[in-house]
Amino acid sequence: MKHTLSILLQNEAGALARVAGLFAARHVNIDTLTVAPTHEPAISHLTVVIHGGEATLEQIVRQTRKLVDVISVRSLGQLCDVGYLAGEAVRSNAHGHADNHGKWQQSV
Amino acid sequence: MTGADVVVRVLADEGVEVLFGYSGGAILPVYDAVFRHNAEHGNGDGRDAMPLVVPANEQGAGFMASGYARASGKVGVVVVTSGPGATNTVTPVRDAMADSIPMVVICGQVPTASLGSDAFQEAPVSNIMGACAKHVFLVTDPGQLEATVRTAFEIARSGRPGPVVVDIPKDVQNAKLSYDGNCRLPIPGYRARLRAVEQARLGDDACAAFFAALAQARRPLIYAGGGVIAGAAAPALRAFVDAFGVPVTTTLMGLGGFDTTHPLALHMLGMHGTAYANYAVEDCDFLLALGARFDDRVAGAPGKFAPCARFIAQIDIDPAEVGKVKRVHWHHVGPLAAALERLTAHGRAHGTRLSLADWQAHVARLKRDHAMNYDRASPLVQPQAVIEAINRITQGRAIVGTGVGQHQMWAAQYFDFRAPRQWLTSGSMGTMGFGLPAAIGAQFARPDALVIDIDGDGSIRMNLGELETVTTCGLPLKVVLLNNGGDGMVRQWQKLYFGQRFAGSDKSLRRKDFVKAAEADGFEWVRRLADKAALESTISEFLAFDGPAFLEVMIDPEAGVYPMVGPGASYAQMVTGDFIAAREGDSTVMEAAPVDSMF
Repeated sequence: MKHTLSILLQNEAGALARVAGLFAARHVNIDTLTVAPTHEPAISHLTVVIHGGEATLEQIVRQTRKLVDVISVRSLGQLCDVGYLAGEAVRSNAHGHADNHGKWQQSV
Repeated sequence: MTGADVVVRVLADEGVEVLFGYSGGAILPVYDAVFRHNAEHGNGDGRDAMPLVVPANEQGAGFMASGYARASGKVGVVVVTSGPGATNTVTPVRDAMADSIPMVVICGQVPTASLGSDAFQEAPVSNIMGACAKHVFLVTDPGQLEATVRTAFEIARSGRPGPVVVDIPKDVQNAKLSYDGNCRLPIPGYRARLRAVEQARLGDDACAAFFAALAQARRPLIYAGGGVIAGAAAPALRAFVDAFGVPVTTTLMGLGGFDTTHPLALHMLGMHGTAYANYAVEDCDFLLALGARFDDRVAGAPGKFAPCARFIAQIDIDPAEVGKVKRVHWHHVGPLAAALERLTAHGRAHGTRLSLADWQAHVARLKRDHAMNYDRASPLVQPQAVIEAINRITQGRAIVGTGVGQHQMWAAQYFDFRAPRQWLTSGSMGTMGFGLPAAIGAQFARPDALVIDIDGDGSIRMNLGELETVTTCGLPLKVVLLNNGGDGMVRQWQKLYFGQRFAGSDKSLRRKDFVKAAEADGFEWVRRLADKAALESTISEFLAFDGPAFLEVMIDPEAGVYPMVGPGASYAQMVTGDFIAAREGDSTVMEAAPVDSMF
């Protein structure tokens, strides 16, 4: 089963490598990975597609949330068609997700 | 002031009492700043404000910091140079991560202009450490240096503790900076998640659900892990047990989290746990996991672990551990001490009384009928007898470090642990060579305590250079080497599973003279013991010696570690060996398991 994760990440040295490295170390294959800027220059938006069961998904989401420079992780649910994924559904979802930045920044 | 001065100032502000590290080109500015700091801030008693303990190898420094952190609960600090200095600390960093030990590692790095140029003593530290630390920072902007070092301490000690690496290029150490005194890096995601977990409190409904299930149970058992120690929850656990009378077994990492001499203590469970603890796990109908993660050395066959438990409850600080290995029926993510205090208060307020007299009597019978035992009649010195003899004198109050292997398991099984932070062992990573440097670090944390390193001849070889560090620092450390002429635990597995083909594990023909080695490194009290009759008197003389002492005991090379639950096996398949009574119907010989299905 394919799953899509939307991850907001602080734009620090090595941050992307730590996310990718975590997936590799936990034996979760990344099918596709997209990195995009957000309106906040210090924050990047990652869209990751993986495949695996529900337990795999739940565990990798929780482990990703332990990475210090990860701001938030959301599972966008199962999608069977990867082509569809990279399209509108993800983009609109991620946009709403990114609107939360202000809150995170103020809360620190 | 320079960047290096800023680093040392933050260390001082964070309350760092001792540094463990080895100098080198790319970290020299920080070493110089430490020297100047100590010259300016002398204690007046001739001792440095921030003494620098120099090991033989950076791995030793890492394990010293780990031992210091384990014995004190404070952050252990390592300062090493770039390239090999940093890569030599990879093993201690991964070890600290796996055992949730707070550490900060400051690494020198080649100047920013040379990064990525294959410069002399350059290594991609942030890539390497990123894979095994809780977090790693590469500081390329001098303006961020102070905030980064301070934030590293915050991350290391908060939530589930762990090691944080700060990689500092030499030009950043030499930059001209001013000191703020408060600045931190923004880490909004981490802090928000941390706040959510730390503020999580058990509600009345959750407490009621917990006690409703507990009230149904006839045979409840607490399975307590290292989280009890990391979360300073031992007093809260004791209060819970005093209130409700639930027996406790601990993991290897949890030893000391509950006084092992308490009538309701079942000592350690798992692969080499006590038979009575493992039988209690088989028999329990309610299991409460506290800061424990159902690791494969405890639940080798998760589906068959605690098979009669109709209800499993779990409390942990790390959301990722809930339900990771074993499905649970009730859980709480938050600080353990607060959760246990809340449960105890709720139970008391509602007049909860459990009738556990039958179960407590059952547990007492298990402890009596399946007590730990070994070959007491053998003419050879048995390793278990050595631990027992030491324990008779130390009464469960010594701080004990170990390497990894059979000696580690005998020490875990036969020592009493009255309080937390007395037991320093590489639990998850299982790193041979851990014991001696960890004990050195612990002696710095607890200068007046009796610190003993129980080591094996394989393990101690790995960091033997640190014997000299003991005498250089004038530490009254006691080193016990249980010598069985090889890698005993490997040999035990080869005996059981590989047709007695002892590939690479036999060291009986090696020429190493450990007594001469200890003497050469300046140990004043050094003895080799092979005579069983002299055991008690030698041990008491050894422990009474006022200074560093080294005792090599030539033990029965065929002594095995029992009980044993084979890898991937269930507790029902536990083998108790020749000297511990098994329950009727249980096997006493190890069933042959396919070697390709185990680890």
